Amino acid sequence: MPAGLQLQGAQLFRHRLLLSTLTGTPLRIIDIRSDDAAPGLRDYEASLLRLLEKVSNGCVVEINETGTKLRYKPGLLAGGRGLVHNCGTSRSIGYFLEPLIVLGLFGKAPLSITLKGITNDSKDPCVDTFRVTTLPMLKQFGVPIEDVQLKIKTRGAPPEGGGEVLLQVPIIQKDLTPVSWVDEGMVKRIRGVAYSTRVSPQMSNRMVDSARGVLNHFLPDVYIFTDHYSGQGSGNSPGYGITLVAETTTGCLLSAEAVTNPVNQDGDEKQSPSLPEDLGTHASRLLLEEIKQGGVVDSNHQGMLFLLCALCPEDVCKVRVGKLTPHAIRILRLIKEFLNVQFSIKPDPETGTIILVCVGSGYRNVTRKIS
Amino acid sequence: MAAIAAEQGHKQHRLPKSGPTAKKKKKAQQKKKGISTEQKNPKAFAFQSSVKARRLQNRSAEREQRRLHVPVLDRSVEEPPPYVVVVQGPPQVGKTLLIKSLVKHYTKHNLSDMRGPITVISGKKRRLQFVECINDVNAMVDSAKVADLVLLLVDGSYGFEMETFEYLNILQVHGFPKIMGVLTHLDKFKDAKQLRKTKKRLKNRFWTEIYDGAKLFYLSGLIHGKYPKREIHNLARFISVAKFRPLSWRLTHPYILADRFEDITAPDAVQRNPKCDRNVTIYGYLRGCNLKRGTQVHIAGVGDHKLWNTSILPDPCPLPLATKKRGLREKEKLIYAPMSDVGELVYDKDAVYININDHQVQFSKSDEHKEENEFEDKEKTQKESVADIGELLVKTLQKTKYSVDEKLNQSSIQLFRRGAPAETALIKSHTVDTELEGQDGHGSDEDDEMVDTSSEEIDTDAASDSGSDAENDESADMSTKKDIERIAEMNENLTETDFDGLGNASKWKEDLLSFTKLKRGMTLMELVYGDTQAQLNGSDAANAVDDSDSDDELFKLKNQPPKEVKEKNNNLEDMNADDSVKLEMTSEDLEIWNSMEILESIRNRFVTGDWSSSARRNQSHHDSDENDSVMGDFEDLETGEKFNMQTANEENSEKVKADDKEAAERRLKKLALRARFDAQYDGTDPAVEEDVTSSKGKQQRPHQGSQSDYFDKLKEEIELRRQRNMAELADVDEEVRLEMEGFKVGSYLRLEFHGIPCEMVQYFDPRHPLVVGGIGPLEEGVGYIQVRLKRHRWHKKVLKNRDPLIISIGWRRYQTVPVYALEDRNKRHRMLKYTPEHMHCLATFWGPLTPPNSGLVAFQNLSNNQESFRITATGVTLEFNQSFQIVKKLKLVGYPYKIFKKTAFVRDMFTSALEVARFEGASVRTVSGIRGQIKKAVKEGQGKEGSIRCTFEDKILMSDIVFLRAWVTVDVPRFFNPVTTLLQSHDMVWRGMKTVAELRKERGLSVPNNKDSAYKPIERPPRHFNKLKIPKTLQSALPFASKPKLLKKRSKPTLESRRAVVLEPNERKIHTLVQQLNTIRNEKVKKRKEQNEKRRKIFEMKKAKEDELSKKRRREEIRERFREAAKRRKSLERDEDAINIRMGQLYAA
Repeated sequence: MPAGLQLQGAQLFRHRLLLSTLTGTPLRIIDIRSDDAAPGLRDYEASLLRLLEKVSNGCVVEINETGTKLRYKPGLLAGGRGLVHNCGTSRSIGYFLEPLIVLGLFGKAPLSITLKGITNDSKDPCVDTFRVTTLPMLKQFGVPIEDVQLKIKTRGAPPEGGGEVLLQVPIIQKDLTPVSWVDEGMVKRIRGVAYSTRVSPQMSNRMVDSARGVLNHFLPDVYIFTDHYSGQGSGNSPGYGITLVAETTTGCLLSAEAVTNPVNQDGDEKQSPSLPEDLGTHASRLLLEEIKQGGVVDSNHQGMLFLLCALCPEDVCKVRVGKLTPHAIRILRLIKEFLNVQFSIKPDPETGTIILVCVGSGYRNVTRKIS
Repeated sequence: MAAIAAEQGHKQHRLPKSGPTAKKKKKAQQKKKGISTEQKNPKAFAFQSSVKARRLQNRSAEREQRRLHVPVLDRSVEEPPPYVVVVQGPPQVGKTLLIKSLVKHYTKHNLSDMRGPITVISGKKRRLQFVECINDVNAMVDSAKVADLVLLLVDGSYGFEMETFEYLNILQVHGFPKIMGVLTHLDKFKDAKQLRKTKKRLKNRFWTEIYDGAKLFYLSGLIHGKYPKREIHNLARFISVAKFRPLSWRLTHPYILADRFEDITAPDAVQRNPKCDRNVTIYGYLRGCNLKRGTQVHIAGVGDHKLWNTSILPDPCPLPLATKKRGLREKEKLIYAPMSDVGELVYDKDAVYININDHQVQFSKSDEHKEENEFEDKEKTQKESVADIGELLVKTLQKTKYSVDEKLNQSSIQLFRRGAPAETALIKSHTVDTELEGQDGHGSDEDDEMVDTSSEEIDTDAASDSGSDAENDESADMSTKKDIERIAEMNENLTETDFDGLGNASKWKEDLLSFTKLKRGMTLMELVYGDTQAQLNGSDAANAVDDSDSDDELFKLKNQPPKEVKEKNNNLEDMNADDSVKLEMTSEDLEIWNSMEILESIRNRFVTGDWSSSARRNQSHHDSDENDSVMGDFEDLETGEKFNMQTANEENSEKVKADDKEAAERRLKKLALRARFDAQYDGTDPAVEEDVTSSKGKQQRPHQGSQSDYFDKLKEEIELRRQRNMAELADVDEEVRLEMEGFKVGSYLRLEFHGIPCEMVQYFDPRHPLVVGGIGPLEEGVGYIQVRLKRHRWHKKVLKNRDPLIISIGWRRYQTVPVYALEDRNKRHRMLKYTPEHMHCLATFWGPLTPPNSGLVAFQNLSNNQESFRITATGVTLEFNQSFQIVKKLKLVGYPYKIFKKTAFVRDMFTSALEVARFEGASVRTVSGIRGQIKKAVKEGQGKEGSIRCTFEDKILMSDIVFLRAWVTVDVPRFFNPVTTLLQSHDMVWRGMKTVAELRKERGLSVPNNKDSAYKPIERPPRHFNKLKIPKTLQSALPFASKPKLLKKRSKPTLESRRAVVLEPNERKIHTLVQQLNTIRNEKVKKRKEQNEKRRKIFEMKKAKEDELSKKRRREEIRERFREAAKRRKSLERDEDAINIRMGQLYAA
């Protein structure tokens, strides 16, 4: 039996489980929020564990009474069609999508799963971002992009959720393609989606106007779609938000997003819902911030980029990113721990970006069946 | 004698009449005569039909495609590790002698004993490692997994033996490396024709096993107990030009063939407990792919172990440095065989041991003394002047009286130019004071410091060069100065507390290191991965700090993390940090974007901005890593003008970006092309490895058109990737590189293992190959593996389901219990009781996970003294999983006891209503084919317990039997047992789980016989159906068509049958003639039959007589043989008796 790993705390819970499943390393996590007023695993984390049980075969999860200790013995990734998972309302679907996309690539069969819950919230990247930015990123690693699909069936805004998305991820036949992705290019067009659900359709137009007001200063080619939901596809709560994507001349996609505070119908709201104009401006400024930072991906996708690089065959991968986020740094450490892959990190002082080079771990999709 | 020789004269030279030389000569002759060698009528050989032409075209295209192989990326950059040449053959065939001859050929070294792998240098760019494969299945399997080239030795006088075929099969499964056959013992043939025939026969058999044209060598015989020099030379030539196939398993797994093995357990621990777990080191060249630190490895025959420590040692058998010279010099012909004790140098982790033969010792003191005694002083001085300086130095070194420490104590150092020389002892007492200065000095020359391993005294020297101090002080800002002070304080404490301790020095150094870090500023790598040095040796220090904290913990208020940290989620050390990728940015953070200045700063990041500045942005990076001559700056020597890419770019800024990218691409492509050319040209450094034939094909047809464009593209891509790898890793620091890609292929490694069972050391046998193989991710786990398996056609019996099987797969060998199955049409996996005779089947077993597409070979018995073919089955893995569904059919039988129209009550199918509940709605069938369905169990008290109510599509009979066809999942036993042959004595047979047959034989049990399972002739008594009776009333009511037609039998024949036939006279004539002819023929046939019968009888009589005779003769022969044997036995006994009697007499005497 492989020697297991013992880790502490609740940080990077998703990625720990993800890497544990990919490498087949049994995991023990102790002291999960043991000092907290509400100790133990959160319900969304438990939901993630249930999701992993769904997509894999033979995994064992043991949690102690207080939920501060977890033993996870990973199974083999099975994938499969027609799976359904209810993500709950404490975290949005984006929380689950991040590990699921990577897991799906290395399964036995292509994954097709319906996730139910909150599609857009301010804590995690929303499903639009995944659709327009994250999934195209996989193309760089040789994933057949025509088979990757994320279909938003229903919007679900916090707090009640009620959204539904269909994720389809193909499996890779052998291994990923190593990337040498350093040319960030210049922003040539900006696209976006302003959605509104269970509110006045004017909200999206107002967001679009304000975002364009900032961005048109740089570029005439700004087009933001408005996406209004009402009736069946509109989920259980009202909400609105905007997602922006800047596409560069070399095909890099940088995204930024802004979502309103939950609109409480009860009236005893702590935070009043944000003004659509403010959201538009906020999102566009975030986008400008990402563009300023540079790099081939935005700050939200750094972790995933590094992870994919580390899962490449034993060739050199080279990527350029902007400022390293704390989350990305944690992931780099985790990668070293699980996959034994260390990156060489060199700042590029002229542009203020960072260039990371690594030799992939030589990970192959061994769970797949040969005929 | 001489006269005769003169008479005979020299033998006439005979011109060759066939073969290439003759052809060439003939051609030349014809040319001389003016006869054109070209075809006279080329049209005669042109295609006559378009169909034929198309077929030929198709055929050639197909052949072309078959020649191509998927190119494989060879990631090794350094010189390749020695190729493993395994020499295998049945016992007494001359394996050892062949290796000895080859070693002698390569190194001029006479090997006395052959133990373990022997590394020799065979050419300027090639090393070979010879391994002898002993006749043991385990050794055969292990050596087959690492062999690059196999020399299959075959006794020509005997022919092929089972071992050879077994080994070929094992090789085939584990990747099929290059194989060359060698025929020996050919001098036993006296008859030349017989020899020629045998050679041809053996060659053809060899070719069918491998491929047509596989190389088979003939070693004609022994000369002075050695193989002829010329033949060994030829063999060596073939070995030196052999190209080796890249094998997919080995390209993805690192492995080491150990050529040295040491037990490094503390001797006292062994003394206390001889059975204690050992620490061992294994040495060998790394092959396959790069090995990362601390990975799990499998030692074949021992088990999975974690790499405790890995280090690179200098290559004990390095290739010669690149020179223009042809061939190797004598000094470069190295041999390394630590297990056979031939090499003089033994490298350990931190020491080199030189083993010098007694007669080679030249500098020892004893010699010197002798010389002094023998010669006078005068002569001696003369000699010294002649000897070179190196010799002198060595001699002076031997004459030292004091150790280095003592000398240092007495020595003095002049600190300042005009100051008095300071005594070391004095300085030592002031170490604490000068500490700070010492560190300062080291900030400037930290490299020296890293190398320096000597003690503190030398470090204080550095304090003296105060010149560097000033510089450092300038660069260091106030904050660092504070830190320095803090460190200094700490140092004082440390040095005061344990001044004498050895730990002092190391801690002192740690601080120094951290100090230098402070000076440099944290690099990004350190920020992310932490201080690797500190991690390596400072772990216990961190623990100590933790301990001290634990006291205060009790009084701390928990659950109050710093507020701002928690909100921002930016604290890297927060254990329970929120798991979100998003960086939270408030709109206040983004307020800066109000200012025009900031907005303008990113103007050039858009296509609407300045393209040139953006190009520069991407350019700066390219320049930094492409400092080689292809794209770098250059200087015009004539004008003295300096060009660099930077300025050039600014000039034509518009196109630059696209250009630059293209240029980089072009440059890599050019390199790729060059490398490929190199590979083709000299064939020694194949960058992209592929099959030999394919590259040959390439050379022959340079313009192939669009056919192999895709192939070319693939190869180009791979070459690009390779070049990129090399370019990116070229300028990385060695230590970082090690962390990034692990130990490189070809390096000589020392692997340290802890907790190895003592039996491995106890029973270590260098003749058995010791293979250490790395295992990839997911391969550490266990699960069910499904393989496509085929019983070997030479194995005598089919395999029984759930009988244990020893399986060699990947690096491992283990015993497991497979369940055989076949896939039905509807994808159902149906269990089989036995493997099919000549077909593949699926086998599912529990074991360590192995990636799909890896071959496996199975054995039932590993013992070496069985005459039958040992390989039981071969196969390939299809997939692994944590569960597989294999089912077997189960038929439940019931009998109807009450039948209504279409409803029937059936009993004896189930035993309880609960069982029935599980099968409600299941379909049933009667023997006669009437289908039905189970409805419900009958109520309690009605009928037998477990009876059911069924409905059918028709009324069934009471004599019908009702079947329920069901499928039961079969469990695959979760059992596997690693074959640990290295943990037992070599001559012991590894014993695992026994098969059912073995157990029965052992206990004298017969095969259980179920009477019901035996096949019996089917008895079907004819069924009598009662006559159909139709009541008269009904009969009368029926219409005529439905009435039974009951007619009485005719009493008189009909008129037609009564009527006489009168023939016409002509007809009568014909009739009689035909009758006569028939009579004649019949008579003839009768006679012939009689004659035949007679002949047969005679023949049978004759045969019976002959049989009787031959039977008699055979009986006589057997009787004679037994009589002879009895006689011999008796005479032996008599002899023995005689000896005994004689002995008795002797004793008596």
